[in-house]
Amino acid sequence: MSEPIPTIAEASRLIAAKQLSPVELTRACLERVHALDGKLHAFVRLTEERALAEARAAERAIVAGRPSGPLQGIPIGLKDIVDTKGIPTTCGSKFLQDNIPDTDAACAEKLAAAGTVLMGKLTTHEFADGGPSFDLPAPPARNPWNTEHFTAGSSSGTGAGVAAGLILGGIGTDTGGSIRGPAALCGIAGIKPTYGLVSRAGVAPAAYSLDHIGPMAWTAEDCALMLQALAGHDPRDPASASRPIPNYTALLGSGIKGLKIGVIHHFHETDHKVSEGTQRGIDAALASFRDLGAELREVQLSPLQDWAACGSLISMTERAAAYEEWSRTRLGDFSERLRSRLILGALVSGVDYVQAVRRRRELRAELQQAMAGLDVVLTATQPAEAAKIDAVPKWDLFDKPGFTMPFNVAGYPAISICAGFGAGGLPVAIQLVAKPFQEPTLFRVADAFEKATPFRDQRPALSSAAPTPA
Amino acid sequence: MQSEINDAALEYLIARAGLDLTDEQKAELKTVHAALAALAERVRKPRGRMAEPAHSYGFAQEDL
Repeated sequence: MSEPIPTIAEASRLIAAKQLSPVELTRACLERVHALDGKLHAFVRLTEERALAEARAAERAIVAGRPSGPLQGIPIGLKDIVDTKGIPTTCGSKFLQDNIPDTDAACAEKLAAAGTVLMGKLTTHEFADGGPSFDLPAPPARNPWNTEHFTAGSSSGTGAGVAAGLILGGIGTDTGGSIRGPAALCGIAGIKPTYGLVSRAGVAPAAYSLDHIGPMAWTAEDCALMLQALAGHDPRDPASASRPIPNYTALLGSGIKGLKIGVIHHFHETDHKVSEGTQRGIDAALASFRDLGAELREVQLSPLQDWAACGSLISMTERAAAYEEWSRTRLGDFSERLRSRLILGALVSGVDYVQAVRRRRELRAELQQAMAGLDVVLTATQPAEAAKIDAVPKWDLFDKPGFTMPFNVAGYPAISICAGFGAGGLPVAIQLVAKPFQEPTLFRVADAFEKATPFRDQRPALSSAAPTPA
Repeated sequence: MQSEINDAALEYLIARAGLDLTDEQKAELKTVHAALAALAERVRKPRGRMAEPAHSYGFAQEDL
């Protein structure tokens, strides 16, 4: 092995060449889980026997000359709001501790069909909202770069697990930034695809019109490989798009000379000023893109606060509707953080909600117009390096508008990639956004950046002492 | 939505939502209600009655 922990792309090439055994790779990941997850809490349930059985099946298929694709034999995890047949799916909640689905969610089904090895179910904020909670059945995940710090959420276990090399990739969900936030703070890549590209069937809702399912992995290339297996029409999801699926890795390595990148400076420099470390990461990234031949343009949108208000009102109201029955009958069984948000959402009037949805149409039109003539736009993913896990404010949605929600409001695809390291050696990130269904362009730009910068060479020190495949 | 909310109005909203809240939860609601009202105000723009919501949408050629 040239790398201590392989990427999906590297492992895939080695497995196909019969130079890496899926069983050895899975065993190495399991050993890392046993060595590290007592500190990280990335997993809520390890499916060790199933993982080894699937790894053996993958190995048999490879030896027999029946390869099924680049994800065959790759150890992955699923956020614990994704239904898994015969495996408890708790949504991080007291309500569903005994819930054992009788079918797989669409995304779980597709990854299994692609030959992945399911390592287990990953930690989530309760029903994918609320923040790090200490009053739930399982503890919150911790950041592998410093376990006193937060991972961001709600796909917290996927972020921690991928960064620490417990899994090579995983599924996250994103209603206002729950893939891109943990990707940013854990120093990995995570993409929220275009709304409707990946089926939501069998995944617990957070807010129906903002929910997205997507991959998280060490690199953008790995996310592209995973998205290839995940994308596609599904009649079980009423929002599912019916479109041809392109080759998501086709443009990788073709460079970005002449591509036009719009920079939404006012989002991260004025509307919500980012930390010095994050700003340095953004500035250096812009210089890298310029060196790679891209043309940078200024983009002006409505203030970040407008996007956040629109998204937050829609999000909290749809969530309150989804969980109304339990809110009315068993309110005390929710975590304190989620309970407070559900209560607030239940007080939003119908007129307020519709005004937010009318605003959504205007904001989408604005982004569409701003992106005419551009290939991607860029802003921050997170305002700063990861906070201490016990210092995450409960009501930050009110005074600190997030950088990720605008693209849930718009439904446009957005990826977070690592852009270096800031205070305390913690990762900082940039966010790239493309037009609907232009994920190949997003991967092209993200991959070019990752390959031109050294940030993919550094893993959290926590994981370096753990076993690696021979 | 009013930025300040009195006890009677709060009780009405809680009852309408079908929730059974503790005094502590009601007190917290009062402290964050102004921030919620600010969000609701921010999505209101001069737009006229013909402006449609975005409940559902399809991506047009112009998006691509």
